[in-house]
Amino acid sequence: MKKKVAPSNFNSKRSLKNLFLGVVLLATIASACAKNSTGSKSSTDQTDKSSQSSSSDQVTLTLLAYDSFTPSENIFDAFTLETGIKVEIALGGDAGELVTKAALTTGNPQGDVLWGVDNTLLSRAIDAKIFSAYKNKNSDELDETARGLAPNNEVSPVDTGDVCINYDVKWFADRKIAPPLTLRALTSASYANLLVTPSPISSSPGLAFMLATIAEFGESGWSEYWEQLKQNGLLVVDGWSEAYYTEFSGSSGKGQRPIVVSYGSSPPAEMIYASPKPETAPTAVAALTCYRQVEFAGVLRGTKHEREAQLLIDYLTGVTFQEDLPLTLFVYPANTKAKLPAEFLKYSMRPELPLQIDPKLIAENRTKWLDIFTDKVLR
Amino acid sequence: MMINPYRSTSKWLAVVPVLMMLVFVVAPVSNIFITSLNIESFAIIARQTTRNTVWFTTWQAIVSTILVLLFALPIAAITANFEFFGRRALISLISVPFILPTVVVGAAFLELLPSTIHRSALAIIIAHIYFNFGLVVRLVSTRWQQIHPHLDDVARTLGASRTRLFLTVTLPLLKKSLLSAGLLVFLMCFTSYGVVRILGGPARSTIETEIYFRAMQLGDVSGALILSILQLIVVAILISLIMQFSRAKSAEFAQTVYSRIRKPQNSAQTLIVTLVAVTSTLVVILPLISVVRRSILVGQQINFSIWRSIFTDAEIFKSLTTSLRYAVFTVVISTTIGLLGACATVYGSRRYKFVNLLTALPVVVSAVTLGLGLIITFDVDPIDWRGAWLMMPVAHCLVAVPIVMRIISPTIRDLPNGLRDASQTLGATTWQIWRTVDLRIIQPALVTAAAIACAVSLGEFGASSFLVRRNNETLPLTISRLLARPGEIIQARAYAIATLLIVACIAIVGLVDHLGTNKRGI
Repeated sequence: MKKKVAPSNFNSKRSLKNLFLGVVLLATIASACAKNSTGSKSSTDQTDKSSQSSSSDQVTLTLLAYDSFTPSENIFDAFTLETGIKVEIALGGDAGELVTKAALTTGNPQGDVLWGVDNTLLSRAIDAKIFSAYKNKNSDELDETARGLAPNNEVSPVDTGDVCINYDVKWFADRKIAPPLTLRALTSASYANLLVTPSPISSSPGLAFMLATIAEFGESGWSEYWEQLKQNGLLVVDGWSEAYYTEFSGSSGKGQRPIVVSYGSSPPAEMIYASPKPETAPTAVAALTCYRQVEFAGVLRGTKHEREAQLLIDYLTGVTFQEDLPLTLFVYPANTKAKLPAEFLKYSMRPELPLQIDPKLIAENRTKWLDIFTDKVLR
Repeated sequence: MMINPYRSTSKWLAVVPVLMMLVFVVAPVSNIFITSLNIESFAIIARQTTRNTVWFTTWQAIVSTILVLLFALPIAAITANFEFFGRRALISLISVPFILPTVVVGAAFLELLPSTIHRSALAIIIAHIYFNFGLVVRLVSTRWQQIHPHLDDVARTLGASRTRLFLTVTLPLLKKSLLSAGLLVFLMCFTSYGVVRILGGPARSTIETEIYFRAMQLGDVSGALILSILQLIVVAILISLIMQFSRAKSAEFAQTVYSRIRKPQNSAQTLIVTLVAVTSTLVVILPLISVVRRSILVGQQINFSIWRSIFTDAEIFKSLTTSLRYAVFTVVISTTIGLLGACATVYGSRRYKFVNLLTALPVVVSAVTLGLGLIITFDVDPIDWRGAWLMMPVAHCLVAVPIVMRIISPTIRDLPNGLRDASQTLGATTWQIWRTVDLRIIQPALVTAAAIACAVSLGEFGASSFLVRRNNETLPLTISRLLARPGEIIQARAYAIATLLIVACIAIVGLVDHLGTNKRGI
């Protein structure tokens, strides 16, 4: 009774083999089904594959971008019509994640063009030799200061925006309190427990705000400023959407705090994506608190379609594409020839002298500053 | 384990699961270590922040696990012992939190919890209970149902009180599944990411969030790798400690497909069943209601315009079909591979214990490390696999397989050989024995595993978010992308999709449960 395996051994092997065959068959069928449905759903997938293998007639470029890259749906049709090149957008996390991944795959990139490196990450990206330099044909029309950040044309500026203190207009009007207009004002007792900011550690507007305070109060004064903010009841949360949509009182989230770190273009976004549309913007921006963010796009070094990728950079910096940006990404076009929609102009606010820090200085000190922030503010 | 009829074939069972882990976990992780590790980064271990992080990660995971078990036990008890109105629905419903994207529930929790405990360790622990208790209930309840009711009767006849019955008969029999479930929950809480970021606030970090922050935001991949080694070591130590406590062999028991489920016998039982069922339903539902509410509130007014547009929205329809497709793939593949793995470890000789460890890797290795490993490994011509659609469902399977295995293996492990011996004596082939004895007994566990695998795939966010998405965004990815954009309508749309995901999950998990449950109600 104990160990009488032998007689059934042959059979068992055969039947288990059958089981295996069954499993393999099942797996193949399942993957075939899935493959079929992807195939029929999106013809771009198929053209992508054929172009990769033959690379003869039609090229499909992969545009790597951050998750919130949402231009108008058919915005690349004009480009395809003009050049015969198709564009496929591949989303790959936030800007920081994109740069880390691109740095690991430098020379053998996951796409052909990268959209979305900003001035806080620029030095890191350039040092990692992610990009292949290219001077785009719209270069002269692009914002001069922004262009100056990448003097060797590793990347081209594509848009600019500001991170500013936003406040709930009604909250301050109801209480007849003047809203805060400067960074210094935020430490005063009348604004105690009113400010919420996303953390510079995990959020790019949070980082921009921290850099704004460093630009304003200098390397020696900024950490002391944050200690005062902390004493004044500052709330630091993980990300922008949590700060804006959970804690801020001026958004649909109806949180408790009427002052938030957000974008200079948040008021128009609130107006345009509201239903029904309010008569006046529910939120406003404190112009003197703004930090300028510049975003860049570049050709990824090691792409198999260098020339086509350069054409795409030309298109991304050209007027057609640039004019699509304000109402889709809520940023200002880098191309000065691009016209701004009236709706956007009416509610957004463009600071004349935004705060800024040299990308090199940021790259050198980023880790140190964030460590100081962690120690002084978070612990 | 006694000598069993499957030993000679068990080496073949291990092939597929082992290959899968070698190709998709071991190779990429080794690759990233070889290419990016820098010895100088070891200095990071000496930092005070690192030590604080390790300590916080450990204690919150232990406390969370204990509380999850305590909270889940009464619910497992009633679902395993009593027939009551909505019992099946309850079992399906409690699986829902497990799949929900943390971005969605995080916001709901911030709304529900009093602001004094926002961004505290307590908030993290409460969320861990919410996300994981359903998993424990399912695992333990499945097992509990297999305890032969005669054992209770015998104990009661011998004069044991209910407490004594529970402590001396039921609990020892449940020990393996409690341990197995506890270990899974512990790993989930230890490597917790989204919950910690949203509910813990920026001041609290686990090793997992630190790894993310170092690699992705500072670009210090080497430092992140050191932290992920540290994470592996701490997990290994804690797991071996837990194993030490559980050395003693758990009792074996024969289960046939009897049902111990009956209607509550007296009013006290009815009261307890009602109380537990209602409480657990409320706990699951409250945050969900808050999600639904956010989908129809635009600027303080109820507005169904989003819902009207959602079914005609091509983008959302695409995410929905992608999610469903991947869920089917994951259920089929991960249940098959998990079953093979579980059989290999249980039937095989001690040598096959390594399969158990190997298949735990995807849960233990940080998602960031694995994700970065994948993108530098699967870049071989002619096809750039990194961007291939297949990577995402494979990632879902990687997350699901360890869970599936741990749901199935306790059930097979304690199956006494008597039944198999009997059928062998009667001349059955190995395959016949397996089909008629083992398969019938593990069937409920298999159904549970399939349902959980389905849930894992529908809700998977961490691993998917590190892969590049072309045309294959799943619902959780779409939700988090929309939540990160300004505009009330867009926010409401994200919550409407989240509602859709919740409904899809309840429907699918319910369906799997329904299909897999045999007519005797087990």
